Amino acid sequence: MERLRWRPLSRREPTIDGLDLEIPSGQRVLLAGASGSGKSTVLRALAGLLDPEDGEGEGLLPAPARPGERGLLLQNPVHALVGATIGRDAAFGPENAALPRPALHEHSSRALAAARVDLDPARAPLDASGGQQQRIALAGSLALDPELLLLDEPTSMLDAPTAEQVRTAILDAAGEATLVIAEHRIEPWLPHADRLIVLGPQARILADGTPGEVLAQQRETLVRAGVLEERAVGAPDTAGTTSTRATSADGKIVAALRGVTVPDRGLTAPQELEVRAGRLTVLTGPSGAGKTTLLRLLTGSRTPEHGEVERPAPDRIALVPQDPEHSFVAATVREELRASPWASDEALAEQLLERAGLAHLAGAHPHRLSGGEQRRLAIAAALAQRPALLVLDEPTVGLDARRRREVLDLLREARDRGCAVLAASHDELLVAAADDQHALPAPRPDAAATPAPRRIPADALNPLTLCLIGILAAIGSFAVQSWQGGLLALAPTALLAPLAVRSLPGAALRLAPILLSAAGLAWTTALLGDAPALSAQAWLVGLKEAARITAFVAPGVLALGAVRPTPLGDALAQRLHLPGRPVAASVAALVRVSHLGRQWSTIVETRTRRGLGGARSPRLLAGATLALLVDTLRGAEQQALAMDSRGFATATRRTWAEPSPVGPADLAGIAIAAGLLIWPLLAELLVGAA
Amino acid sequence: MTRYRTVDLLVTVLIGAAFGVAFLGYGQLYTLIGPLTAAFKPAEGLLAGLWFLPAMLAGLIVRKPGAALLAELIAAVMSMLLGSQWGWGTAVSGLMQGGGVELAFLLTRYRRFTLPVAVLGGVLAALLEWGWEKLAYYQEMSWAFSGTMLAFFLLSGALLCGVLGWAATRALVATGAVDSLAAGREHSRAAAV
Repeated sequence: MERLRWRPLSRREPTIDGLDLEIPSGQRVLLAGASGSGKSTVLRALAGLLDPEDGEGEGLLPAPARPGERGLLLQNPVHALVGATIGRDAAFGPENAALPRPALHEHSSRALAAARVDLDPARAPLDASGGQQQRIALAGSLALDPELLLLDEPTSMLDAPTAEQVRTAILDAAGEATLVIAEHRIEPWLPHADRLIVLGPQARILADGTPGEVLAQQRETLVRAGVLEERAVGAPDTAGTTSTRATSADGKIVAALRGVTVPDRGLTAPQELEVRAGRLTVLTGPSGAGKTTLLRLLTGSRTPEHGEVERPAPDRIALVPQDPEHSFVAATVREELRASPWASDEALAEQLLERAGLAHLAGAHPHRLSGGEQRRLAIAAALAQRPALLVLDEPTVGLDARRRREVLDLLREARDRGCAVLAASHDELLVAAADDQHALPAPRPDAAATPAPRRIPADALNPLTLCLIGILAAIGSFAVQSWQGGLLALAPTALLAPLAVRSLPGAALRLAPILLSAAGLAWTTALLGDAPALSAQAWLVGLKEAARITAFVAPGVLALGAVRPTPLGDALAQRLHLPGRPVAASVAALVRVSHLGRQWSTIVETRTRRGLGGARSPRLLAGATLALLVDTLRGAEQQALAMDSRGFATATRRTWAEPSPVGPADLAGIAIAAGLLIWPLLAELLVGAA
Repeated sequence: MTRYRTVDLLVTVLIGAAFGVAFLGYGQLYTLIGPLTAAFKPAEGLLAGLWFLPAMLAGLIVRKPGAALLAELIAAVMSMLLGSQWGWGTAVSGLMQGGGVELAFLLTRYRRFTLPVAVLGGVLAALLEWGWEKLAYYQEMSWAFSGTMLAFFLLSGALLCGVLGWAATRALVATGAVDSLAAGREHSRAAAV
């Protein structure tokens, strides 16, 4: 790259200002720099993914000639995952490269093995743990044999042992490929790097050389750039351990868990925990151990299976979510501090603004702050509620050394105000500074295994056949003219229903809303029809309408129970020949439903905890929708980047990892669909009022 | 202008998916007006506009032909796969609602994304959706009540879809989450120069 310059449309100053960089093939480069130094932008430039529509650039590299030639791994693997199953996720790149099916499967299974993904390929990647997700994402970027692998802080969201596993997987899998690793915590990577480049503001190179040289000669620069800490790297913060901090050992118990278990969330061993006023308690444990569940027990969002929970009144509990944007509701930083009805003290708010180092940003938009500033704002806003208990989920994750320290200072401030502070964290800085530590045991490995759903006859049908059944039945239902005909029209649906029902509770869950709606329609028709309201005649018209609407929706709802987004996408693309990119993108969006559902509950819970209203408050729902959209749209940008690095941008003619088979069963399905189309008409002729 | 970059495509479908999930939470709103709608069904039209929001937001943010329709269809398909009680009726509703909003942007040839166009989109979506519901669900409702329902639909489409959708888009632009998209770019140019 020569004289690379880049100014995003949203900024006045360029984020990269004249960068010259030459990386010989096979080199392993460590790109260090504090948050905001432009590391990510440099990686995007190297990937050839800076979009000229997004800003002004000079010296931009062209997009890769071969799909997947330059792999990119992002900080948060959630943005890289596109498949409903691990196997399909790994196949995404080869599909984009339009590889034929045998080669495609060979590429994806080799990539999964290289990235040491040891999970069942049929599992959902978005339900895996953070470390597993990052390895699945790694497999995704390896699947097209990249010559250059670009890694954007790939381990910064993981706890130390998991990060080590992912690091090893990356280094082993990279083989001969050129590697560029952007990181703000450089020391674990140093032994593996051939070259260390330190970036300052606007991606200006501050130091460049072998790691040994740079560390020996330019230590000062590294410390000033916020990449190394002044103390010896990795040394624990000596500020206080449990035994030396005698001042508040007698702090009042603010919240406690006594013999609590939540087996379905991995908390099988009874938990005893006391959270005391004026103390910082850190909750540790590997991912999947139930840290978040334990926090939710303490905030009152969950009840335990066994045991007792003590906690303060709701207005004395404050919660800071892992993503601070999930809690924001106001248009300025100052308003954000006073958004909660429990944050009534104006002087306190001003004071906290000062302490959080946000006074100069009081008029800024919360969502436009940097990551570190957003964390501090969320904590300050929580403290403005004068909580007795402050609960935080991973308050320093993904931040560089300086920003982590600033967050810690704010937590100390909270503690010194007499607040009981409980943080779930794997950050050694927080753990070292904690007054008390509560470690959760690792979950049993088989805890997450779910039994495969029972196979039903409907599973043998192509999704398009299942759709056809619903559509033709809906059209046929318009023939219903009388209540007798309507009831008879329902007979085949009732007879065929067992073929599409996986379990009785599941069927009840799907059918109950239909029957409720049908009853509602009968009532409305009897009340607001042309016949005298609620007369016998009006009720019969209502009954006819109820039968008609059930005949309209029930076959479709039952058949859709066997339709999954991925096979539906396969069918739409391969059988109906709909354009590949929109279909693939739609499937990627639909398989995120459970992830989006989790985000939604966190957002609603966070806001309820701030006293902004209950789950039925229109204002809360409006704010929560906006927060979910902010989260989704920011994610979309990252996701687009990850997908384009896997060859999606040019994948107008892509292949599909799985066929969309049509067999003899589908003939029977089509016959059923045709039958449901004409049966209501026949029924009407048979028994309808002549 | 009409080329869909990956980010445009993803934003469109993810707006649909996000609303598909948020709609599950909106079900709670119906319990608020439950007593009213039990006695007088047309009042349910008052909330109708909310369901057109994915189309409106995608149209206003992505500003490309088809975005409004695609986002609404994704929200509809997601509801269907999650087991919406209206089955395939949901898909037709998605087509009507998305199509109505799309039509408003089409009438301006995708050049204007202002409040009046948004209100027009909400009204057109309401009109089409009402037509579909009258045909599929409320055949036997008397025309007097159906007319009242239409009035509620149009009001809701104009306010909850048009005005609220337009305001929500502005709020999203202010957060910086759409800086790389058409709606954000306009804002960025104004702010950066």
